[in-house]
Amino acid sequence: MRPDDRHYLPSHEWVKTDGDTVVFGITDFAVEELSHGNEDDLVYCDLPEPGRKLTQGETFGEIESVKAVADLNSPVAGEVVEINKTIEDHLQVLAKDPWDKGWLIRVKPDDASMSHLLDAEGYEASVGEADE
Amino acid sequence: MTRPSLRSDSGTVETWRLIESWDAAPEFNMGLDEALLDDPEAPPTLRLYTWSPDTLSLGYFQKWADVPGTGSVGAVVRRITGGGAIHHTQELTFSIVLPQSHALFRGPVPLSYGRIHEALITALAGFGVEASLAGQAGLLSDREQTGMCFHESTPLDVAWGARKGVGSAQRRRRGRVLHHGSIKLGSTPLEGDIATLEGYLPGDNPIGALAPALLREIETSFAVHLERSEATASERSAAQRLGGRYASRSFLRRR
Repeated sequence: MRPDDRHYLPSHEWVKTDGDTVVFGITDFAVEELSHGNEDDLVYCDLPEPGRKLTQGETFGEIESVKAVADLNSPVAGEVVEINKTIEDHLQVLAKDPWDKGWLIRVKPDDASMSHLLDAEGYEASVGEADE
Repeated sequence: MTRPSLRSDSGTVETWRLIESWDAAPEFNMGLDEALLDDPEAPPTLRLYTWSPDTLSLGYFQKWADVPGTGSVGAVVRRITGGGAIHHTQELTFSIVLPQSHALFRGPVPLSYGRIHEALITALAGFGVEASLAGQAGLLSDREQTGMCFHESTPLDVAWGARKGVGSAQRRRRGRVLHHGSIKLGSTPLEGDIATLEGYLPGDNPIGALAPALLREIETSFAVHLERSEATASERSAAQRLGGRYASRSFLRRR
């Protein structure tokens, strides 16, 4: 079971509340799809500058593995306040720990509601369908 | 070798649209691929195309300064797929656009490469090409710091004569996948000593021989029926709208 302290998009991004901000990341499923167990296969990640306003569902960045570029989609609307500079140069951190040290960006959300997102159980079901 | 079946459980054959664009403008080629990727209603589509003028395409994340060949070609674009630069001339280019949930693209990215590349290897065998996946050892075509796709290999690349002969890249966006493939008919000064189909295909019409064989193998390997068609008016309009970006200075030099 994936962590139940956060919410998810079917496109494999997660969002977790942390005080009056939220943190975005991608799931282990996304990492596995892109890298298939080879942590060095993640090669580039473009993240937005702090201050950028994001709308819900907007593409806020891209990640490249050796063989594919994938969009990163914003689970909620808000303003980017911090990016995880560590992973821009060390994507192995994201590959090893997508739930914690591999977070992507911190956002001040426009709205605290996450009712439009999947909970852990819903995400598990979504991933199960993708695996079938 | 037992080939993995992509046939549906019901045994039905899926219909894919086939769009051929010969000697098409680079902006159109890239714009139409993106239009198909962005339209969730677009039917499963295989495109075969060639380029006019000859075009150097940079990978999405490549730095402009890291690709020395930009001044010696007819046109330059930046792709939305990753990987290295490709000089699109003496080449058959293909793209496949499908939902990510499709059996061809389900699971980790490398698995989908394996499925597509096995079909290519089988099609090439019909011309006497002893192609295989590159494996871990590296290739004679590998070169340092040229920025070119064909000078960098991964174990999943298609190679013959220990040289890379097919370039591949993907973009995954909002539950859909665009897969690009470049099959080399001949070499260019920018790409040099790579694997090509020169000598395997009739010199006066290599694409006329290769394309039908490739289509037959795709129908067999992926259990699909290809129906020759054209892009719709709205797709052509979207291709024109999206295509301008690909050769724009700001997009080309975004990195």
